[in-house]
Amino acid sequence: MVMSASPTDEHRPSTGRYLDQSKIQAALDQAQDLGASYAEVRLMAITDSSVALRDAKLERAIPGQEVGVTLRILADGAWGVHSTTDLISLPSQIESTVRLAKAVAARRSSKDRPVQLAEVPILEDEIHWKPKQDVRNTDLQTKIDHLNTLHNSAADDDRIISVTCGWSDEHLHTELMTSEGMNRVWSFQRSLINASVTGRDGGEVVSYRTRHGGEGGLEVIEACDLGQLGESARIATLRLLKAERAPSGKLPLIADRDLTGVYIHEALGHPCEADLVAAGDSCLAGKLGQTIGNEIVSVVDDPTIRGGYGAHPIDDEGLDTREKNLIQNGVLTEYLNHRESAHHFGITPNAGARAQDGLHHPLVRMSNTLIKGGTHNDVDELMEDIQYGVFACGSRGGQVDTGRGSFQFAAQEAWLIENGEITRPLKDVSVSGLTLQILKDVDGLTRDARLAAPGFCGKGQTVPVGDGGPIMRISQALVG
Amino acid sequence: MLPDDAVDRITEGCRTIGKICQTQGIQQWEIVATQSYGHSIDIEAGKIALAAGGGEGGYGIRVVEDGRFGYAYLVDLGSADYALKQARDIAKVSPSVKGFVLPSEQTAKKVGGLFDKNILSIGPEDLLEQADAILSEVASLDQRAVVTGGGLGVGASATAILSSEGIESSGVTTSHGMGIQVSIDADDELTSSYEGDSSCQRLPNVPDCIAVAVDWAQKTRGPIEVNTEAHDTPVLMTSEGFSPLFSMVVPTAIRGDRLVRNESFWSGKQGELVLAGDLSLIDDGRMEGGRSASSRDGEGVPTRRQTLVENGRLVGSLWSTRDAAQQVAEGRIDHAETNGCAVRGSHQSPPGTGCADLQMVSSLKSSSQDALLERMQEGYIVHSVMGAHTANPTSGDFSVTSSTLLRVEGGEILGPVKQAGLSGNLAKALSKDVHLGNDVRIQGSYSSGNMHLPDVLLMQGLRINPA
Repeated sequence: MVMSASPTDEHRPSTGRYLDQSKIQAALDQAQDLGASYAEVRLMAITDSSVALRDAKLERAIPGQEVGVTLRILADGAWGVHSTTDLISLPSQIESTVRLAKAVAARRSSKDRPVQLAEVPILEDEIHWKPKQDVRNTDLQTKIDHLNTLHNSAADDDRIISVTCGWSDEHLHTELMTSEGMNRVWSFQRSLINASVTGRDGGEVVSYRTRHGGEGGLEVIEACDLGQLGESARIATLRLLKAERAPSGKLPLIADRDLTGVYIHEALGHPCEADLVAAGDSCLAGKLGQTIGNEIVSVVDDPTIRGGYGAHPIDDEGLDTREKNLIQNGVLTEYLNHRESAHHFGITPNAGARAQDGLHHPLVRMSNTLIKGGTHNDVDELMEDIQYGVFACGSRGGQVDTGRGSFQFAAQEAWLIENGEITRPLKDVSVSGLTLQILKDVDGLTRDARLAAPGFCGKGQTVPVGDGGPIMRISQALVG
Repeated sequence: MLPDDAVDRITEGCRTIGKICQTQGIQQWEIVATQSYGHSIDIEAGKIALAAGGGEGGYGIRVVEDGRFGYAYLVDLGSADYALKQARDIAKVSPSVKGFVLPSEQTAKKVGGLFDKNILSIGPEDLLEQADAILSEVASLDQRAVVTGGGLGVGASATAILSSEGIESSGVTTSHGMGIQVSIDADDELTSSYEGDSSCQRLPNVPDCIAVAVDWAQKTRGPIEVNTEAHDTPVLMTSEGFSPLFSMVVPTAIRGDRLVRNESFWSGKQGELVLAGDLSLIDDGRMEGGRSASSRDGEGVPTRRQTLVENGRLVGSLWSTRDAAQQVAEGRIDHAETNGCAVRGSHQSPPGTGCADLQMVSSLKSSSQDALLERMQEGYIVHSVMGAHTANPTSGDFSVTSSTLLRVEGGEILGPVKQAGLSGNLAKALSKDVHLGNDVRIQGSYSSGNMHLPDVLLMQGLRINPA
């Protein structure tokens, strides 16, 4: 039975730690005695809640507590991993996990490079990003009240046939102990509110989604004008009911902040992940130091942007997070990496390791990714010399084939641009392209870059991310 | 892999929580428990990257009092009292749904093929052997080909459900699955293909999907020039290319609650033609060996095989207990009741509504791929799409991208196309002139369940936009 330890605060030991440090230290020592060159135990306890309202009626409210712990062992240059919800059983898994790592190593050929880890500072401390208003203390009625505000504004038209509003919050507590002596604890919170609005006019049915959220507690939600958020979603939904299908072809494209963020996340961020580069699955392999985009393009990934949905103080290998400059003036300057890939490429570790939860091992992941601002004043200035193009807004998500370097992202709504002016509303706009081409085709950026709506990124594991930037113009994109 | 007493222990855990519910005088309660164990191997850059194992589990508690429900989940029995208090507090502020009660016990027949004891005996060393065999097979098929990502794994899950209404059921299912990304990076050109397979039964050491991955990485090399004007065209979508779009749009459209709330493109069309006249949709919750099949659904109701679209006409829909009661109570439909379509992601969520193993079949004779190409004459074969999750399930509209497609002229494959956009409305595209291939393959889903689909030739309603 793997369920044994309780993540609820009242069951937590008086030390404030879930892990019994002396037992874990003994287990890590045992791993080294058995031949491990590195061992770590990472625990994540999550206290979360989600609430959904459908047409102003409470559909579901789910409070939850979960805890997971992952033992990761490097032996003979290969990884063995054991994940469980049973904290107590963990020390008994040391021997089998070392054996697992050695079994993987035994199957490597002599030409395969053994896994090694880049050196990092060994720290023993605690970092807790305290929210202004601890979301764990927010009662259900308060959440319902906020959701109702969003709903009432979004639903205020006969053509709106359904509004589903959702809330989610989580308090994340992580403990990491390694055989190198790392012993760190960190915690922070995330809060999110969203709405999905469905409109119908005759046989025409459309839907529109909106989200607001970020790192932090209740203050994140209360900083948002939910009435305005709902109203914008309602107006967009009604506009979609009258919208035409988008033209197809290669066209000039202007993307709002949301889409700019998704674009840079998909087109550049994923191919910049050093584990994919090392695996031979990135179109950016061998291109560090090369010009891959227009000189106006500079891109950062920055988990230290407090309030961003992808913000976190420490990465899941125990490194202090920092800003990463992926592209500077069109030149690829840095991959996102973790300790293994940093060693592989002989580059400085930049704290890019993230795991979905305590039951998953860390991968190289993005956090808050954005294009820096440019020189244009506003969208009108970007549009003024476009004869026929598309202004696309809001994201329905995207996807990338990192190896081929092709990507796709979809807009929630769009407008046709004719002779430098917005004319008709469009729907079902998607944009696709090739990373190495389209970065060169970015030819205009407004000055004001900031994070847009929160998102989620999948790479076998799902992690929250923030994306954004300025309003962006691409001289030619494949619009469908 | 799975402890011998796993089922007994989670069942006992359910009983312990159930007793607390009884002690507290809760009107109706339902406890679900899951306990899963498994082994997995990750492959990167043509070699085994890591081996992993472990287990997880927990309990979910649903309480219903006067038509109001509350839910909470937990990982250890020590916090059951706290979780129950949370669930009851939530129930107090939830709206009362007239007529909503938890389902009562009904006899459920076992579904075969969901458990394979051979999987239980697969250890990490066996999986490593299999990974090696796959890597060797890829190299033998094409020396340039490399498995750049993916992995394989086995698992076993014990599940149990216990309710105040007399439902008590438990069981063990097994799984064996893999998915690999094969890339060929040579002569300044990189092509790749992702393929996978999964089953409740032990898979062959090297499943057919491995050769398929290599084949598509090979045949998409050397793109040809095509007319880059966007144009309407027939498209033959392989099962792998079609299922992401289909699963994003169709399972949602046949949910009973969405149909009666006018949130489906098939709302108000009960009894009307919604698909081409030879096509039927069948959801088989009892399919032997079905990846989403089971004897009972996510709230303990016996599952069934049911026809949702018959010869093109919409004749059914998917319902779970609460959705049915709510839509009746709110006056959107005179009568609705569960038909065994409650689905749960895990113990962490209460049941929703969804399909299990969904099939699209034709009353006409199915065709080989060659015959489908002969019928198509001019068009494209699309084997994978990017962005299927951005399709709009409310309208059926989609606009996706493919880098794994072939140009067809004169009924014959002319060559690969580097990249193209593909857009249309899936509901309209499926409404006429649809032809099915004869090789049904099982695919995953963006919504619920698994999709059982052959290659599908869509003669109308699609637009292609080559890069």
